[in-house]
Order: sequence, then structure tokens, then C-alpha cells
Amino acid sequence: MDAIEVQDLRKAFGDIQAVNGVSFNVSQGEIFSLLGPNGAGKTTTISMLCCLLRPDAGDALVMGHSIRKDPNGVKALLGVVPQDIALYEDLTARENLTFWGKMYGLRGAALKARVNEVLEVIGLSERANDRVSKFSGGMKRRVNIAVALLHKPKVIYMDEPTVGIDPQSRRNILDNVVELKNQGMTVLYTTHYMEEAQELSDHIAIMDHGEMIACGTHAELVRIVGQMDRITLTISILAADCDRERLLQAWSRVEGVQQVTAQEDGMIVLLADDSHRVLPPIFEAASTNGVRITGVDIQEPNLESVFLHLTGRALRD
Amino acid sequence: MIRIFDIASKDLLQLLRDRETFLFLLVMPIVFTLLFGFAFGAFSRSTTDPRLPVGFLDEDHSWLSHSLHDLLAASEVIRMQEDDFSTQASLETLVAGEKLAAAIIVPGAYGHAVLQGKPAKLILIGDSGATAGMSVESEALSAASRLDSAVRMAIIMEQVRGDQAPFDYTYQQALSAWQEPPIRVSETTSSAIKKQASGVQTLSHTSPGMMLQFAIAGLLTSAQILVTERRSRSLQRLLTTATSRLHILLGHFLAIFVLIFCQFLLLITFGQLALRVNYLQAPGATLLVAFCAALCIAALGLLIGSLAKSGEQAIIFSLVPMFVFSGLGGAWVPLEVTGVTFQAIGHVSPVAWAMDGFKNILLRGLGLESVLLPSAALAGYAALFFLLAARRFSTAEEK
Repeated sequence: MDAIEVQDLRKAFGDIQAVNGVSFNVSQGEIFSLLGPNGAGKTTTISMLCCLLRPDAGDALVMGHSIRKDPNGVKALLGVVPQDIALYEDLTARENLTFWGKMYGLRGAALKARVNEVLEVIGLSERANDRVSKFSGGMKRRVNIAVALLHKPKVIYMDEPTVGIDPQSRRNILDNVVELKNQGMTVLYTTHYMEEAQELSDHIAIMDHGEMIACGTHAELVRIVGQMDRITLTISILAADCDRERLLQAWSRVEGVQQVTAQEDGMIVLLADDSHRVLPPIFEAASTNGVRITGVDIQEPNLESVFLHLTGRALRD
Repeated sequence: MIRIFDIASKDLLQLLRDRETFLFLLVMPIVFTLLFGFAFGAFSRSTTDPRLPVGFLDEDHSWLSHSLHDLLAASEVIRMQEDDFSTQASLETLVAGEKLAAAIIVPGAYGHAVLQGKPAKLILIGDSGATAGMSVESEALSAASRLDSAVRMAIIMEQVRGDQAPFDYTYQQALSAWQEPPIRVSETTSSAIKKQASGVQTLSHTSPGMMLQFAIAGLLTSAQILVTERRSRSLQRLLTTATSRLHILLGHFLAIFVLIFCQFLLLITFGQLALRVNYLQAPGATLLVAFCAALCIAALGLLIGSLAKSGEQAIIFSLVPMFVFSGLGGAWVPLEVTGVTFQAIGHVSPVAWAMDGFKNILLRGLGLESVLLPSAALAGYAALFFLLAARRFSTAEEK
């Protein structure tokens, strides 16, 4: 059984169709990322999946429980890490975790033990009795995640949990997400950071304008745009008798180079099977023809290029 | 169900950490009660005789005119001002100059006329259309009537029984009998007023008034908690747990209610012990009014918290009803001194009903029955505010 089965979910706010017929399945124990720019409909999708918003149409099953027919059954299985720091800043970390633990149905000694355990996991045992308002952004994010882990949920939703934090805290959070997967939890992760989706995910769904435009493993998605590396070269001509055409022909004869194109702005774009292998002979040919390469930009096939290929826009636009 | 108490205890923890809570709920009402008390003279130790000053000129100098003087001098309403050099003209000047409320002149033939059973005239200088003049006139007529009836009784008894009922003896007996009149009006609704000093009366109004006013003002801290919860998305997160919207609402309501009810209990204790405001005159009635007022104000707080979109709005939404409800409801100035129309408008404010309840106990000396209607009105307001808050809460879809 899949952990999450989403079937044709739709949600509109007035005239704006925030989610338009989204369907996907998430297997148990995997990390599934929803990738897309801001406003793509990721948070609305998550909000429907955690029963905060009622879909206009469609349904989703979370561990077999329908978000329409059995929202309480769904909520009992879920841990939700919202995009915002959804904590009470005038309470301490321990008080926050204790309160949220109670909201998830934990009581007494079990609650106390679990709070201590989770504080240990996020590395904040020493600061447990400090008010959250005194914490750094990264520490708050860690407590924010810890809340969702208290009741050991089967499925955890994480809505852009790394927004606005320092690299060290981000690394810590990403490691925690992988650890959750290792513990057998199913993680539904939304992000607009391509690198995060690429690093963490077993499967990725790319969303744009409320629709899912692609879904699969990283390799499957990359295959959409082909497997070649894109090498962009900036050159300066040293020799007076340099023949530009002859240089381009020399580069096209390099083994592994599939295509050479001179752009109007003077830069040369090469499509190659393996950029690391073709670059030395390209430099050599340039030198032989009296040309100096002053800039190299290598673009390996990635989600950014997939998004660009599918929408005509960069992911961060 | 237990989640309601969990949410309430979390809210109370947050509220008690906020110093503003204590400022609005305890410090301000005590300070303002004392301030209003000073302003209305609750703490002044005045030795002034409150009776109306009345000039007296005896032109008769008979034993009857002396008796009339003694009766008037014992009055609780008028205070006799005598001067051997008084004349009718000088008394008229003093009354006109408002140095005296009125003046009584006993003409020369007064005693003789009374003894002869003829009409005996007294001269009253003053405005018989004004309250003071009417009071003096009434007091003078009462004394003269008592004197006249005692004289007539003595004459008749002497005529009938001869030496067995001598005039002097019967006259004295008849006159002293007036001290215990056969018919007496029993003032059941103002017994408390009679017993209390005027300062306590003032505080009996300002103490509940300020208590109610600052309970509403204190809602700004309670409402802030709801606003912050919504803005930080903690409310959204709460809704992703198995906690229902109703439980969340009831949890917040319970916290505000407990806070306000405790505030009332502390201020009532302070009023009773420090200000001698007699809340314990009818403890059950006092508790009922306090309970219903706390319900009403807590529900108002919930409504404010669900309506306000920011901290600034929460402050405005708390202070506006504080001023409107307190002003209209008679927390500052008793509604009794306003006109009928204003009193009717004032009762749109729940504060007016709470004040009615407290004043029925504190000023009118009434018991539990007298606070049932005000308490029911307050409970009705509580239900209305709660339903409006619940409606707002359920329609506010959390994205």
C-alpha cells in the first residue's frame, strides 16, 4: 500500500486555481519532494493533505484514510512541519514540546521521556528551558521540526523547512530528514531549492501554476532533457591569423563532443557526454588555434534544466 | 476534552508571564478605584453638619414656642441657627443670600392661639417650591402639628378626667408618645444606604465599575495571544492535530474566563477588606454576578481575538468596547443620575447589567433574587459573543 495516494486534487481561491488536478503516489518509507517556484501550489496541496483545507474536488488517501471522509484518522497519522515557525515564542522549548505532545495525545511519563528524547535528537537539551524567543532562526527551525516528531508519526509533511536559515542549520535539517527516512517514516517534502530535492528525494514531482508538470526519480526527470552536459565557453583571440571556423571544427572533432554552437554574444556552447573528459582536449585545441579560454560554465543535466525545458522559465524566476 | 484544559493552561502560562496582564487586571483597577474614590470624596473625613441651616426668631417667648424650638432643634433634617439680634428683615437677607436654607418666625400670639384652639400661624421665609424650602416647611409643620395635638389632648383629658389627668402630665405624655409614632414607613430598599457612610457608597459604585472596566481592558493581552497564535501559524498547526476547532475555542475561552474570574475574586476581596465595600452582604449573589460578568467578558475577548488581524487591532478592538461599554454602562457615572433615555441606551452595554447586579447587592442591600435578571442578561451576552466568535473562527479558513 502506498503511504499517500493523491487523486485529482483541485482547489481554487476565488478566480485563482491554486491546485489544478494534481495526482501522485508516495510509497511508504520514501522521501517524496514537491518542487516548484513560490506560488506553484505546493503549500495548498500540503494544506489539503493535512486536512486544513477542504479540496474542491478530488481526494487523497493517507495510509488508507481519506482526507475527505476521515480527516481525524489522517491527522492522527501525521506530523506536520509548517513553513512558518509555528511555536509559542514566550514559552520555553520544553514547554512548547510538552504542549504539542499533549495535542498529539501524549501524556505523563511517556510524554516527558519523548520530549527529552526529541530535545536530544535536535541537540537542544542544554537550551531546553530557554524561551524560544531567545533562539536563533536555525534553532527555532529545529524545534519546529521536533514538534512534528513527538508522536512518532508514520507520515511527515515538511513544508519548506529550510527557508531563511544559515547553511549549518540547513545541513542539520537535511541530515535529520534522511534520518527520518532511515527510521521508516514517509516524508513529503516541499521545497523550491532544486539541490535539496535532488539530494534528498526518492521521487520528485515538479509543480507550476497549480499543476504537476513532471514526476519521477531524479534520473527519470533528467532524461526528459537528455543526458548531455552543457559547456559554455568564453574565449579571447590571441593570434592575428586565428580562424574561428577552424577552431569550432577542431572542437567538434573532439571525442565526446556532440554539438558546437557559436552564439551571437560570442560565447561557444558545446554539448558533450562527459564534460570532465572533453575539457582537456578542448583547451589543447584552443591553444593550438591561438585562442585563450577565459571562462567555462558547465551545466550538468539537473532539475533546473528540466524545469527550464518544461516551462521555458528558470526555477528561481 | 482534556485538550481544552491543556490549551487553557498553556494560555494562562503565557498570560501570567506577561506583565501587562497584572497591570490591567489588578494594578489599574485598584489605582482607579482609589482615584475615583478620592474624586468623589470617599476618603474625606468631613465634620460638616449635613442638616439644612434654618434661622429661628421667637417673638412669642411662650412655653409653647420654646417647646416648638426644642422639637425643631432635635430634627435630623434642619439645624437651628439662632441669633438674639435677629429680625425678620435680617433673616430675609440671610435666606436671600443663601446663608440659610429658610427661616421660621414664631409670631407673638402663637402660644395663646394654640391654647385657645384657634388657628396658630407660623411664618416661613424661604422658597417653598425648592427642595430645601419644602423640607423645612414639612419639618416645621410636623413639629407644630405634634405640639398642637399634644396640647389638645391634654386639654380634653383634663376636661374629662379632672385632677386624674392634669394638663402638664397629659401634655408631656402625648408629646413623648410622638417619639414612637403608631405608623412608621419601613424603608426596605434603602436600609443599606442608611447604614453606610457616604464614602463607602461612593466606593460601592467605583469598585465594581473599575473592576469591570479593566477586565475589558485586560482583554487586549488575552486577545493578543489568539492573534499571535494565528499569525505564527500555531493555530494552523493545532488544526493539523486531532484537536477540533470547538476544543481550541473552548480552551482559549476557559483561560480568559479563569483569568477574569480570579481577577474579580481578588478585587472583591480587596474591596471587602481594604475599602469596606460590602460584597459579602450577599456572597452568593456577588459570586453569581461575578461569574456571569466573567463569562460575558471572556466571550467578548474571544470575539476580539478572532476578529483582530494584528496586535494593533487587538488593542483597538479591546479599548473601544472598554470605553463604550464602561461609559454607557455606568461604570464611571451612575446611570441613576442620567435620564430615562440614557439609562435605556446604557443597558445595551453588558456593563450596565453587571453594575445593576453589583449595586443591587452593595447599595440597595438586596439578595440573590435581585441579581437573577442581570445575571441572565450577562449570560445572554456571553452566549451571543461566543457564537459570533465561533462563527468567525469556523469561517476563517486557514491556508
